[in-house]
Amino acid sequence: MLRKTFIIILVIIFMLPVFWSVISSFKSISEIYNYPPTVFPSKISFEGYLRVFKDYNFMTYLNNTLFVAVIATVITVLVCIMTGYGLAKGSFPGKQLLTNAMLTTLFITAQIMMVPLFIVIKKLELVNSLWGLIIPAVYTPTGTFTAIQYMKDIPDELMESAKIDGANEWQIFWKIIMPLSKPLVAALAIFSFTWRWNDFILPLIVINDSKLYTIQLALSSLQGQYSIPWNAIMAFSTLAIVPTLVIFLLFQKLFMRGLMAGGLKY
Amino acid sequence: MRSGNINIVKNRFVFVIPGLILFTLFALIPIFSVFVMGFTSWDLLHPIKFVGLRNFKNMLHDKWFWNSILVSFKFMGISVPLIFVLSLALALALYKEDRFSRIFRAFFYWPYMIPAVVGGTMWKWLLSYDTGLLNYILLKLGLEPISWLEESTNALISVSIAQVWILAGFMMMIFITGLQNIPSEYQEAAFVDGATKWQVFWYVIFPLLKNTNILVLIVSIAYCFRSFTIVYIMTTGGPGYATTVAPLYIYQRAFTEYRIGYASALSAVVLIIALVIALIVLRVRKSD
Repeated sequence: MLRKTFIIILVIIFMLPVFWSVISSFKSISEIYNYPPTVFPSKISFEGYLRVFKDYNFMTYLNNTLFVAVIATVITVLVCIMTGYGLAKGSFPGKQLLTNAMLTTLFITAQIMMVPLFIVIKKLELVNSLWGLIIPAVYTPTGTFTAIQYMKDIPDELMESAKIDGANEWQIFWKIIMPLSKPLVAALAIFSFTWRWNDFILPLIVINDSKLYTIQLALSSLQGQYSIPWNAIMAFSTLAIVPTLVIFLLFQKLFMRGLMAGGLKY
Repeated sequence: MRSGNINIVKNRFVFVIPGLILFTLFALIPIFSVFVMGFTSWDLLHPIKFVGLRNFKNMLHDKWFWNSILVSFKFMGISVPLIFVLSLALALALYKEDRFSRIFRAFFYWPYMIPAVVGGTMWKWLLSYDTGLLNYILLKLGLEPISWLEESTNALISVSIAQVWILAGFMMMIFITGLQNIPSEYQEAAFVDGATKWQVFWYVIFPLLKNTNILVLIVSIAYCFRSFTIVYIMTTGGPGYATTVAPLYIYQRAFTEYRIGYASALSAVVLIIALVIALIVLRVRKSD
């Protein structure tokens, strides 16, 4: 009893920010600035949502974000699997050194590396381009390590017999390794999509042109402008969490176990 | 040994090439360029110029930079213990595999999945002085409203609480894994000996969780030290510099003042601090 009361009180506290924002997104412009505020809207209003689509170009930001998230995900999955395969099943000089170097970068993240990352992106002329949000994000230490761990568990005999049947390296990769890697592909794709959808740091340093804003960058920049009604900002926020909420509900177990924790079975 | 075996272990370097190129461009070069660019001045317009130790000399007198490091540590000092205690409490309440646990774990984990920009926006709105729910509740209770984000100490506490909200559920899952790995015989034996629940926790479970405790501490410290988005959205570092954490201070030097060289020098210092924290924590882990 005590345990359930404790948990339910905490759930209510944890859900307060979400509750208050979603509730506010359905208030009219006159009601949202009431003092003292009303808890529940006296009349449900879609004004905020209409403005998000009509005045604040939500569809443009959605298109940009989807473009980045989908393309980055496809490339990330492919590169992670190839790298993981090469590092787990290959043998070339410097393999261990490269693996260790990649492991070290787990600790060094974009927040700390913003400035030098920007310098490289600028030199590659990717500033103010959606590709500048895709290409720098493809290399992920977390994804690479998950792929290495997964590949290590695939028995060599499977590749061996394909070799005897006369398959070349490329055929082994596509016909043996890829089909065996479906759970890995799924996990990497789900994580990569969520990372790109939620990302703020790269868009913040790479994009200036408001036509290229992603949803997160647009939401941040809207708050810097005066005279933006908060029911619209709350509607924007509510819309911005829907895709990741759906993905989370569908793949809850996968997320809560964590990608690095492994447990993927081929 | 079979004759074909030698052919099976293949070079396969070619598969690593795309990953290696991207790793070099977006991880290796940035790490090295922090240290090289720290000795230059660059405003994005003029050519890059070497200025020797000037950036590092300026840094010594940059009161607000050192303040931002201090703010980062204060931010960690508030968030990390709260995250630790709360996530452990949640894990103890929810580690058993029953229906109740499985449903409610998701509620606590979910904030970790919410984009930090949205999370920050939602907290800002909840804590708003005039229109926030929290001050409304205080008002209903007959209390004075509080300036959650407009007063220095409050603002730092508020952003720290938002950070706890993001991470507690994630850390809870690490604790749950740890708790589930403890064989239940240990607890049963202690109960047979007449120990109370609290004694079982303090003398049996907590010591057995040692590795998990350290893992949670490492991950929380690492996450909180690099925290940027939640602060950027909730307070933009204000009021004044009260919540300007180190990554935010560096961001402002680089992207609002375009002092790329100077910001690189600052990044180098922060990078070294991050590595030192990692090393200290790893050392503590080894010596135990």
